[in-house]
Amino acid sequence: MEREHLQSAAVSYTYFKGLYAIPGGLLAIASALRNWAWGPLRHEWVFLCILVLLGVAYLLMARHYNENYGRATLSTRDQVRGGVVVVAGVPLVIGVSLLLRSRADWSLDLPVNPTAALLAALMLASYAAVGVLRRHHVIVFGALLVAGLLPVWNGADPSNIGLFLAGIAFIVAGVLDHRELVRTFGPADRLRLEHGNAGA
Amino acid sequence: MPEPDGELVLDRLIHEPGRLAILTVLSSVKDADFVFLQRTTGLTKGNLSSHLTKLEEAGLVAIEKRFIRKKPNTNVALTPQGKRGIAHHWDQLERLKRLSETATA
Repeated sequence: MEREHLQSAAVSYTYFKGLYAIPGGLLAIASALRNWAWGPLRHEWVFLCILVLLGVAYLLMARHYNENYGRATLSTRDQVRGGVVVVAGVPLVIGVSLLLRSRADWSLDLPVNPTAALLAALMLASYAAVGVLRRHHVIVFGALLVAGLLPVWNGADPSNIGLFLAGIAFIVAGVLDHRELVRTFGPADRLRLEHGNAGA
Repeated sequence: MPEPDGELVLDRLIHEPGRLAILTVLSSVKDADFVFLQRTTGLTKGNLSSHLTKLEEAGLVAIEKRFIRKKPNTNVALTPQGKRGIAHHWDQLERLKRLSETATA
């Protein structure tokens, strides 16, 4: 029996519910396309419909995970650890993004893509902080980080391209996370529950 | 061989592999439901159910039966006694491991 494996099961389960990243990634892509006023997304109602559809998809995925893999509430320590990264990370991302490239007087105005680079850095930091950083995270978000930091982003504000690329990265990493979850906990249909989620 | 500062005793109720796995998983979360415990421990539904009943009778876990969207759901959490029990048990196992390493060195 591996004690560490059992003790980290809940954290792994929480962070490897990768299907959630699909609506998240699609939201980032839709937001970028809307900002470009691309095709039907130039209409506000189309974007709102997409939001509703993504919300429904999220709920269906939550149901899939709850029914097939169960529910677990993280310990307060793990919740705080994950929360600290988000609470500290979001203002940091905004601040560093403005510093690297913005219209502010104090901006360094570098030819980089801060949105792509900082979202990638935030994702890497959050996985690392809770101890579930895997090789595929390093590859996917590392590639996004490098792409964002390459000094090739001259010209117009590259935030939308950054958001678009981040959306793709979220989806790819999410699918790989879900694969990791299935490898760790078994396929969804493994448990043939006779009477739902009841026992004892 | 027991250490001079305390007797090395393993609780048989906790030491059974299935129950040790259940308590170890629960020691890292606030609470978890039946399906999650089944997934993480690899126990069958009948085995898990029987182990949980024994642990509940010993006061090591608290079991809450509820309905979520009209479906029965069994939620399990460690009691304070269960938290102390599993922490102490792993300490004892660590001590035992150190003792065996010292003995074979």
